[in-house]
Amino acid sequence: MTKILIVSEIQNGAIREATYELVAIAQSMGGEISSLVVGGDAASDAEQMSQKGGGTVYVANDAALANYNQDAYYAAVNAAVDAVGPDLVLFSHTSAGWDVAPRIAAKLDAGIVTDCFGIAEEGGNFSFSRRIFNGKMEQKVVSSGGPVVATVQAGAVDAFDGSSEGSVTELSVTIGDTRTTFIENKSPEAQGVDLTKSDVIIAGGRSVGSPEKFEEVINPLAGILGGAVGASRPVVDAGWLPHECQVGSTGQIVAPKLYIAAGISGAIQHTAGMKGSNFIIAINKDADAPIFEVADLGVVGDLFEVVPALTKALEAAKG
Amino acid sequence: MKILVYLKQVPHQDARLDISSDGTWIEESNIKFEINSYDTYALEEALKAKDSEGAEVVVVTAGQDRVTQALRTALGMGADRAIHIKDEAVDASDVLGVAKVLAAVAKEESPDLILTGLMSEDSGFAAIGPMIGEFAGIASTTAVVGIEREGGKLTVERELEGGNLEVVEINTPCLVSVQTGINQVRYASLKGIMQAKKKTIDVKTAADLGVGDAISPKLTTEKVSVPVKGETAELVEGSTDEIAAKLAAKIKELGLL
Ligand SMILES: Cc1cc2nc3c(=O)[nH]c(=O)nc-3n(C[C@H](O)[C@H](O)[C@H](O)COP(=O)(O)OP(=O)(O)OC[C@H]3O[C@@H](n4cnc5c(N)ncnc54)[C@H](O)[C@@H]3O)c2cc1C
Ligand SMILES: Nc1ncnc2c1ncn2[C@@H]1O[C@H](COP(=O)(O)O)[C@@H](O)[C@H]1O
Repeated sequence: MTKILIVSEIQNGAIREATYELVAIAQSMGGEISSLVVGGDAASDAEQMSQKGGGTVYVANDAALANYNQDAYYAAVNAAVDAVGPDLVLFSHTSAGWDVAPRIAAKLDAGIVTDCFGIAEEGGNFSFSRRIFNGKMEQKVVSSGGPVVATVQAGAVDAFDGSSEGSVTELSVTIGDTRTTFIENKSPEAQGVDLTKSDVIIAGGRSVGSPEKFEEVINPLAGILGGAVGASRPVVDAGWLPHECQVGSTGQIVAPKLYIAAGISGAIQHTAGMKGSNFIIAINKDADAPIFEVADLGVVGDLFEVVPALTKALEAAKG
Repeated sequence: MKILVYLKQVPHQDARLDISSDGTWIEESNIKFEINSYDTYALEEALKAKDSEGAEVVVVTAGQDRVTQALRTALGMGADRAIHIKDEAVDASDVLGVAKVLAAVAKEESPDLILTGLMSEDSGFAAIGPMIGEFAGIASTTAVVGIEREGGKLTVERELEGGNLEVVEINTPCLVSVQTGINQVRYASLKGIMQAKKKTIDVKTAADLGVGDAISPKLTTEKVSVPVKGETAELVEGSTDEIAAKLAAKIKELGLL
């Protein structure tokens, strides 16, 4: 029977939702499930994991595991791999997952597939579905023997919410000197515009092209609707707009009454920050752009024509 | 100080993508290519270090003939020399195989610092960096948006979910994968492009690097397809003015005007 090892993650004192999504995927394949829970003091998390689909749970408690540390986590995952001998090792595609999973694959001389949204098993081999080219294409990757390491996109499937009888076993992990040292966590300072307070957000993407074009094309539309200007990450990276305008998984999570996305492709890291909006209008030249999958209304067209025309129409309607 | 920068040439961000006839990748003829944007930030970080304290910057890529252009661009921006792994077997391998070959260069060069992008914009694995670190036997860290160097250590800021940051100290030599926005990337100057013509590009195969036997792929791409859309937006059609009028009416209906 296929052996699956789930590497769980603790965040704010509890097992992350994303971990239970891994459980759901593992359960759907019907293999023999084991899980690893690590932390400074993770006994109760391990207990919970064993009752919520985690199967045979290995727990590693060590002060060095209290915060994410690559060398320490690597040691713990390796110890679990030795104990389980898995065919498939599952991580979430999070900042911890993408940091350590590739190293484990290299260590095991195993194939690796990352950021998957679906995994299936057939006769001991696995197939993995994922998006490539920033979401524009889909790729199906298949294995043919040997263990595989995979990371799964957070939110790709519904989390497992059943219950089960599992067991908890202490895992002894030797953590020597680590080459990396955790210093501190920092939260972004709240400053400038708080997009989360706006009823209307007009967001522009890389294709707007320059700060001048934002002023000329995007700002007037925001102005007439009393809305705020938002942006995708490349706009902020290029320094056209300040960081507080960035919407997405590493920016602000917003849910206004109206979100207009102009020239934004709709990469998952962007939509993670705006798909909860009440009404979404997307304007994009490319009919296949993934942004249309989250939008209510879509315009396949040039933002430099559509946005000014809309601004004019609204001005006229306002009288 | 020696800094190795790994960069990949990927389809231009605005390229029209069509699926190749064998259905396992995209059609590469007739599209433009550019350096993976994440990697341009990695290169800039190396060039900044060269400007401020002096460093030899070596750029490395694996790919077909076309990638020479990416290397020329990097040399024009200020990199000192380039290594091109040109080997069809490497191009046909998987993440694991490519990482092994790229790591073999790191072992040969033993740099003080290795920089990569967080991920490639075509295959988007975000995996090759840390794998090179593992194969080369050095520490690594990912999604970095700030680097400070002092003595034998770097202090880096890693980006976490929700815009939160984690400050980590890491011993050198090490590998750092860079997130976009860490700096403002320079353009190649005319003078730089002229000088680049005299710089060398070493061309190697996996066998030259002693890893010719280690790259048969464990995973294969069975299929690339246009995503099947679930629910999708209702499209507003017509002339620009008709579209604008329909959108305006909807916004009014939402009570937002
Ligand atoms: C760890 C991580 C975190 C990230 N966090 C974020 C985040 O918080 N927020 C975020 O936004 N991104 C984030 N990203 C980046 C994300 O993956 C995408 O690269 C980014 O969202 C793309 O921005 P874009 O849509 O503006 O640009 P592109 O993807 O380049 O899209 C431009 C779009 O404009 C369209 N277009 C071009 N010209 C016109 C025109 N004249 N009229 C209309 N349409 C036009 C094109 O068809 C295309 O769809 C993150 C990435 C990673 C790896
Ligand atoms: N063929 C390649 N040649 C050189 N560097 C590469 C290559 N593929 C990936 N990389 C590097 O590894 C990083 C992560 O790529 P990936 O794991 O494919 O997302 C990229 O940003 C590059 O720095």
